[in-house]
Amino acid sequence: MAFDWDVIWRNKYLFLGGLSVTLKLFVLALAGGLPLGIILGLGSLSSRRWLYYPTRAYVNFIRNIPLILVVFWVYFSLPLISGRSLGPFTSAVVAFVIFEATYFCEIIRAGFQSVSKGQIQSAYSTGLTYFQMVRYVLIPIAIRRVIPSLLTQGIVILQDTSLAYVIGLREFVRTAAIVDSREVRPLELYSFVAIVFLVLCLVGSLVVRRLEARDRQRV
Amino acid sequence: MNKQDTAKGSEPMVQIKNLSKWYGDFQVLYNINVQINEGDCVVICGPSGSGKSTLLRCVNGLEDFREGDVIVEGVSVKEVSHNRGIYKLRSKIGMVFQHFELYPHLTALQNITLAPRKVSKVPGQETEKIAMELLERVGIPEQARKHPGEMSGGQQQRVAIARALAMKPDILLFDEPTSALDPEMIRDVLEVMVNLAKEGITMLVVTHEMGFARAVADGIIFMDEGKIVEQGDVESFFKNPASERAKDFVDRVLVHI
Amino acid sequence: MLRGILLTLQIGIISWIIALFAGILIGTFRTFPWRPLRVVGTAYVEIFRNIPLLVQLFFWYYAIPPLVGQWLNRMHNLGYYCAIFGLGIYTASRVAEHVRSGLNTVPTGQRFAGLSTGLSQLQLYRHVIIPYAIRVMIPPLTTEFLTVFKNSALAMTIGVLELTGMADRINARTWHGLESTTGAIAGYLIIGLSIITLMSLVESKLRIPGLIKR
Repeated sequence: MAFDWDVIWRNKYLFLGGLSVTLKLFVLALAGGLPLGIILGLGSLSSRRWLYYPTRAYVNFIRNIPLILVVFWVYFSLPLISGRSLGPFTSAVVAFVIFEATYFCEIIRAGFQSVSKGQIQSAYSTGLTYFQMVRYVLIPIAIRRVIPSLLTQGIVILQDTSLAYVIGLREFVRTAAIVDSREVRPLELYSFVAIVFLVLCLVGSLVVRRLEARDRQRV
Repeated sequence: MNKQDTAKGSEPMVQIKNLSKWYGDFQVLYNINVQINEGDCVVICGPSGSGKSTLLRCVNGLEDFREGDVIVEGVSVKEVSHNRGIYKLRSKIGMVFQHFELYPHLTALQNITLAPRKVSKVPGQETEKIAMELLERVGIPEQARKHPGEMSGGQQQRVAIARALAMKPDILLFDEPTSALDPEMIRDVLEVMVNLAKEGITMLVVTHEMGFARAVADGIIFMDEGKIVEQGDVESFFKNPASERAKDFVDRVLVHI
Repeated sequence: MLRGILLTLQIGIISWIIALFAGILIGTFRTFPWRPLRVVGTAYVEIFRNIPLLVQLFFWYYAIPPLVGQWLNRMHNLGYYCAIFGLGIYTASRVAEHVRSGLNTVPTGQRFAGLSTGLSQLQLYRHVIIPYAIRVMIPPLTTEFLTVFKNSALAMTIGVLELTGMADRINARTWHGLESTTGAIAGYLIIGLSIITLMSLVESKLRIPGLIKR
């Protein structure tokens, strides 16, 4: 059996389209997941019970079920809420925001906990309100400490986007499957998909490692 | 047998010959020469970062070195450091560390018996008997079943000494054995060490405890910046140190005491 | 549905066993003082960790069988075996990372202490480093164990009717997608809770007296 790498070149526009869907999904999942994660993180550290318990219940619930099920579940339940079908892309974005926010929450919570009581008290002592303290002291310090972990989670999200495949979204992996059904070149096609993800994620983790090395020097 | 074996009786126990060591481009030991005779207790002192601990770890091959050699009981550390001979050599050299380094998941007794059981393949019951005797010798037989985390620092260090003695070593290396301890525990550990020195076991001790040096040491080595600055008799080192640096050092530690 | 749970448990546990063995081996490679072994370990981890599991499963299921021969394609349970194998070696790369960082938490002084009493490298690992590191590794490995079950849901994409696949099948037949996926979610929660309970038991059993619990 001879290799036929041309199959990829022949379908380059399909692949570019698939990749752009994957990247769009990735960016939207980040843009929605991170803010929601910060809010959940604040809720997780709240001393108000009515805030703390629902937040933790939500986070622990979502973290214990497979992402693929969340994707399905949103896909099936969203039409019930909105009254009309929203298509796979919207469903996927909603599912990823709901899911990844809980992972961001845990990372950010750890970051918040690394900010010392003294720093928070000194912020209050200069007359800052709670929201000012969060905005100007807590978040800037905490986020900077957990940037490597956040980026690592970003790499995981990029990989997770492939799961949108199951609800028929034509992202990168689904594109390969579609091309494969026509050309029957699974080895070349899936190797190609694997290599693209590998390169993207390796570059990502290289950046993370750089940042970590830099942080260590600063300490 | 070979020449070294026949000459063993008259040769020093440990011979460090022209030893030099680098970490990358940074030289940490400069041309070190030391001889230690059987039964001697030699103290190494000097400011921190002077290479004392590194020198100690070269003696049992925990650190390798680029130039020179260390001869222990006629065996070249350099030669055996790349084969299984190093394990045999180490089993005859006991070592005690600054931070005790007891295995946290084993009890005091198990810490002591691990090497005899696994290295010398002595049966378990026998090693336990020996271990109990050693614990009595260091004064804490009642701690036998406890884990390191449940003991005080002084007790842990005495278990560590018992562990070092369990292989019946010919030489003991001490790497600042009291500098991680609270003052009231230092005495207990020093007492054990003084007894060992009096029993005539060969000892090489890195320490700042000048009282210990004056009481039992047969010789003293003063190191600074990777070099041996002074080497010789304990009393004359304290009374009239030859170099400025040693004088400074002696003034400072004596004020401390 | 119950058959689905059973299959999920089966896939999860067998892949976990593969992942543990391979992961411990590769993680240990990465701490060895011999460069070629370290390189092999690093390459393994980087490759398998940086490709989505879904793509890996597709690779084993669609791309490999034509290379090996048609008899594989006719195999009745091909998806099942691919899922176990793929999930196992994927998880191994994650286990290896935990093993490596666990082994690295053992202080250098402990190595020195072991070696100074004459232990060989092998004895050092067997009696000093591994027993200590295992206790450090249990919490992250518990999380990983939970993740295996969650990831086993991906087996449905290559035609295995485990819990998620079952939910999807029910949806296809009856159009009760919401109900069937909700049922599957309940299944995963039950599995997750049982594992957490089990592992906290193991953890308390292995706890070293006098050492601060993390």
